[in-house]
Amino acid sequence: MRQPEVKRVDDPAMGIRSSRRVLLARGGVLGALATIPLIGRLLQLGDASASPSKAQDSKILQLVLLLEYTQVAFYEEALRQAGLTGDLHDFAQAALEHEKQHLAAIRKALGTTAGAKPSFDFGQNVKSARAFSEAAIQLEDTAVASYNGQATNLTKGTLAVAAEIVSVEARHAAWVRAIAGQVAAPDPVDVPMTAKQAVQGLHEIGLRT
Amino acid sequence: MDSFQDFADFLTTVDRDGALAETRSHAERTLSRRRFFGLTLAGAGTIAITGSTGARAAGGLPASDVDILNYALVLEYLQASFYTEAERSSALTGKTAEAARIVGATERAHVKAFLKLLGSEAVKRPTFDFQGTTEQQRPFLKTAVALEDLAVAAYKGQAPKLQANPVLAAAVGIHSVEARHTAWMRQLFGITPAVDAFDLPASRRSINRVVASTHFIVSRPKMTGRNKPEFTG
Repeated sequence: MRQPEVKRVDDPAMGIRSSRRVLLARGGVLGALATIPLIGRLLQLGDASASPSKAQDSKILQLVLLLEYTQVAFYEEALRQAGLTGDLHDFAQAALEHEKQHLAAIRKALGTTAGAKPSFDFGQNVKSARAFSEAAIQLEDTAVASYNGQATNLTKGTLAVAAEIVSVEARHAAWVRAIAGQVAAPDPVDVPMTAKQAVQGLHEIGLRT
Repeated sequence: MDSFQDFADFLTTVDRDGALAETRSHAERTLSRRRFFGLTLAGAGTIAITGSTGARAAGGLPASDVDILNYALVLEYLQASFYTEAERSSALTGKTAEAARIVGATERAHVKAFLKLLGSEAVKRPTFDFQGTTEQQRPFLKTAVALEDLAVAAYKGQAPKLQANPVLAAAVGIHSVEARHTAWMRQLFGITPAVDAFDLPASRRSINRVVASTHFIVSRPKMTGRNKPEFTG
């Protein structure tokens, strides 16, 4: 898929990028994740999918559901365990509130077909403020990339709803980056992720099931 | 200041310009002209974004996409010029100066990308007067927040209307970058970067009304016709 040529702003002060490259290097995880029914179905989402349809929207919403479950669980555990104070605490609390509303909306959209809450092991990511902020940046960048990656696969009606969520994820990403003293918007165009990359990214943060 | 309405209140509310509306009517006339000449507008597969020279870009793009891209281009011109002028005024310091430099470079990159995509169909850069908001840090930040929130709502309103997948993919990737910008500027200004769980779209009409209320656009953009695209940055 071609996009207009936009060069990345060339600036040495630009903090870390999303850890996409790192994620891509860890191929083995996918094989294991694919044995889990919900995730196995998600991995069947192609990069260049069939024309948008209600059925395809539902598959994509399952991916989004997994993402929102992960975010809610991540912020809940971090608020309990990471010893967050000041700006980081305010951020985590606001983000949790938003992600809960996203999760509720996606669950409602999926109705009885919504997948159950998966299990997580966030490990050190929720044990200190410093680790939390790094993981939060990675998770929010992954959320933005995951939604953006599905935009052309969604029907227009569902795209309109997804667009109301993705920019809030982008605000979260920039917010926590700014708190951490990193460049809040490192790329002129946010780089999308495929469904596979998204699932892999969530596993990197702590999705287990 | 958490909404466009506040921004409109902050500035004056007289619509004396209508520059964006003018842009749209230019685009509509162009579309009529295209239909008149019976041009076939092929699908996304034929978009030639890179490579050959000349008036290639808009060929192959659905007419409605060209219209939306020109609308987005005016918003990008507005933002790019705003940051460029702020940088030149040397009024900004510290983290705000750093952020403005990076965001400005990004908005200029967006302008370049749209000019390349639209080729000879691109509207020209209007003339701007930022009413002194680029000359002091607090007014700069306040205005930056409003312009970025506006851009997010504008892209969100138009994205589902885009037909060509490569254009849609680019637009959503820019949309989320504008959302990062507004959060960044809000953080620097000292207000909540993300207020609500859902960001709402805005129609062209409401975007146009707010932009007009700023009086930032002092000359109306024109179609370049057969001229080569005007590169900026």
